Amino acid sequence: MSVIGKSVARPDALDKVTGGKAYPVNFQLPGMLHGKLLRSPYPHAKILSIDTSAAEQLPGVKAVLTHHDVPQRKFTSVYFVPTDTKSLPQDLLIMSDHVRFAGQPVAAVAATSAEIAEQALELIEVDYEDLPAVFDPEEAMQAGAPQLHDGAENNIAVAPVMEFGDIEAGFAGADHIFEGTYTTQRAHTCYLEPRVCVAEYNGNDGYTINSSMQHLFGLREKLAFALEIPESNVRVIKPPYIGGGFGGKLDMSYIEPVAALLSRKSGRPVRMEHTRYEDFITTTRNPIKVYLKTGVKKDGTFTARYASSILDAGAHATHGAEVINVHGFAWLSSYHCENMKWEGKSVYTNNMIGGGYRGYGAPQACFAFESQNDEICETLGLDPIEFRKKNARQLGSAHPLVPGLTIDSYAMEEVLDRGAEAIGLAQRHPPGANGDGTTKRGIGMALFPFWVSGCVGFPDIYEHSGAIVKLNVDGTADVATASVDIGSGQITTLLQIAAEELGLPMAAMRMVDTSDTTTVPFDAPTHASRITYGSGLAIKAAAGEAKKRLLDVAGTMLEASPEDLEVVDGIVRVKGSPDTALTVADVASRAESPFIQFTDQGPAPTTLAEKGTIIGLSSMAPPSNPSPIAAGFVEVEVDTETGEVKVDRVVYSHDLGRVINPKGAEGQVEGGFQQGIGYALMEEIQFDPDSGTCLTGCFLDYKIPTAVEMPTQIESIFVESNEPTGPFGAKSMSEACVVVPAPAIANAIYNATGARLKDLPITPERVLAALGEL
Amino acid sequence: MKKLIELTVNGEHHEVAVTPEASLLNVLRGDLGLVGPKKGCDAGSCGCCSVHVDGKVVYSCMTYAVGAQGKEITTVEGIGHADDLHPLQQAFIDAGAVQCGYCTSGILMAAKQLLDTTPKPDEETIRHAIAGNLCRCTGYAKIVDAIKLAADRL
Repeated sequence: MSVIGKSVARPDALDKVTGGKAYPVNFQLPGMLHGKLLRSPYPHAKILSIDTSAAEQLPGVKAVLTHHDVPQRKFTSVYFVPTDTKSLPQDLLIMSDHVRFAGQPVAAVAATSAEIAEQALELIEVDYEDLPAVFDPEEAMQAGAPQLHDGAENNIAVAPVMEFGDIEAGFAGADHIFEGTYTTQRAHTCYLEPRVCVAEYNGNDGYTINSSMQHLFGLREKLAFALEIPESNVRVIKPPYIGGGFGGKLDMSYIEPVAALLSRKSGRPVRMEHTRYEDFITTTRNPIKVYLKTGVKKDGTFTARYASSILDAGAHATHGAEVINVHGFAWLSSYHCENMKWEGKSVYTNNMIGGGYRGYGAPQACFAFESQNDEICETLGLDPIEFRKKNARQLGSAHPLVPGLTIDSYAMEEVLDRGAEAIGLAQRHPPGANGDGTTKRGIGMALFPFWVSGCVGFPDIYEHSGAIVKLNVDGTADVATASVDIGSGQITTLLQIAAEELGLPMAAMRMVDTSDTTTVPFDAPTHASRITYGSGLAIKAAAGEAKKRLLDVAGTMLEASPEDLEVVDGIVRVKGSPDTALTVADVASRAESPFIQFTDQGPAPTTLAEKGTIIGLSSMAPPSNPSPIAAGFVEVEVDTETGEVKVDRVVYSHDLGRVINPKGAEGQVEGGFQQGIGYALMEEIQFDPDSGTCLTGCFLDYKIPTAVEMPTQIESIFVESNEPTGPFGAKSMSEACVVVPAPAIANAIYNATGARLKDLPITPERVLAALGEL
Repeated sequence: MKKLIELTVNGEHHEVAVTPEASLLNVLRGDLGLVGPKKGCDAGSCGCCSVHVDGKVVYSCMTYAVGAQGKEITTVEGIGHADDLHPLQQAFIDAGAVQCGYCTSGILMAAKQLLDTTPKPDEETIRHAIAGNLCRCTGYAKIVDAIKLAADRL
């Protein structure tokens, strides 16, 4: 292969190193107003009255909205499901008289400047009836707790149960039973570009929206639904790229519908941009408390596995009603066992709304099961690698999610062996035996044995993609897709796939950066590790169709059968006689030429069949949902006097099917571990226990790893199992590397100190408490 | 009440009317159309807005525009452009140091100050020099690589 597997430079990098002009945050329209939201200081309240008259009188204020002015149609904000889905509760309103979390918008202002809009907010008088609030999901399920939504008895939004085999018999047949409870915290994606949008009302119930988001068509669908207008009345502009997403921009937030309605009321475009504080209270990885019970034989074979998971959905279900299911899948699919049962609960509280975040329920699951697996191995004296190989799924066995499919690529053993070898797992010391005085060292590992390359098999989740590939007369190709580059390199990966299929060099490829929902086919969101596989297959199909037409025209010109032609590095040639050749530019020029061509011998007709732009179009769903396999290995240093944990070295081993861009893939791993280390050791959104107000609304209070906290050694090992259904053998990459760090670090801390930490984040206080020093 | 001030940015002279509390970042982005410096937190904690004032890297969100009068201000737009990249800009492309890129403008300015004063920094020095700039995509590994690469080429 000539382009696949090469670390080509990102086409978007040149703009980004010279100032980055194309971010949604830079988008402006003439006459644009600036909108701001007034947010409730109460976590649970009824609005008795709102007086906006003084705000409306302030010079520069052009429009004010309250719940009286917005449609009262309940919706789910989650992009990747149909708006009329039965899977997720429709429990959200653009604005409501019922406040369910501190920070919920209760009014909005559009003014000629952001400063005037902020001044106007201070002039709005709201009379609230303060209601009792509940912040703990287990308390929220108790009798007598405040009830937050009609129809959600005991505040339970959804309560999925999955079961197979005979769980009781499985536990009865176990030699040992292990139990544990593992808790995870609320963490923020910390995309650096704030959520921002510019909305313009076009008349006739129509709107145009520019937004920093992860799903073009999802925003169109959700906005139209909430505004009670036909879907095609909303036109969403595709940003050339956005400043980070990580799942945090996978749902419509309040600003898009509010900006749209403010634009309609004022007659001018309206821009709204979150402050960092607003971003911190907008979406989060849901906290989940997981109880695990596992039965094993003496040799480590699982006989029964039971889990129950309680997820804090916050004030509205949104992603929290789906994260719980994917979390359950991550646990159920992880290792083979004949007898399994899982009970999940997603619970309403008066906390902030949850959201999508890279891994989507899997980090919480993997932390629990890989912590417990380490405990099983340590207690029974089992080799951690052999234990995992014994229980993991196997190549050729049934796909745990999609009936009828099998696992067609699965290099689990190689992933484990190469990672263990690189870190020196076999040579590690027994727990607590490495280090002097107050400095202890340890090595730990975690396997994430089964995950996704998209959402095939999950009910109600969009999974089709489309693309347009068009050749130009100079031998270059333009590729158009609705798939949004959220920073992780979708533009590069997709262009490499198209280039390989077309036989063009990377320099000839260009991603169209000005498309919108009216000009490109539907594409599912940039999420669920799906772009390389799902969108990649659609790009490959469109490129394949363009190539077929290219070879048809070239066949006429070369007087050869198209089947006998190949395209290599921009040259169309007859297989076996490379001198009989044309450039792609020659062929594209011929196809685009007038019907009569001037030649050296004078005017000559070209054929009708040759005429027309060489173009390919696709819209399709992927055939499968192949699993990547990831293993993380870390070496840590624990200061037993201060409780501080430092990650010194990382080895990450991953079966991704085929590596498209090695440097890009490494970048995903290095960034993934940064987020995983932050999740393991320091990150937590915290609230005032009485008022429910966010206490960690800036980067001084919500700590994420800087260059100094990151390990200097991060080694990526890519195992290429060649997935038969994937584009050039590729599966998926970028979520698993966020999933494994926390359990690997917790297990390394156990190896260093003999203390088992079951609650995230593993702060110095928690380490000292576990060591009996607090 | 706005006040007319004079700013020298990337060698160009500007007169702008600003309020006393206007941040340099808002003036650069809003009044001068220099959108390279980015707003990531508006609180001096992410570094996306980093620019040079008299050769020293500052958070422009925490710098009053009125206080920058009479000083040389340099933004990322001032260190190179598409056909004439600064070696740091080229190295960021070559090393794969750019992902979402929202932090890139600021980190380039932090790195430039480092190389302006310490031409051959070791890794620890590099990491401390960019510790005031958050990146959420890269884990900093390829950013450190890029700065080393640029130092080698300079």
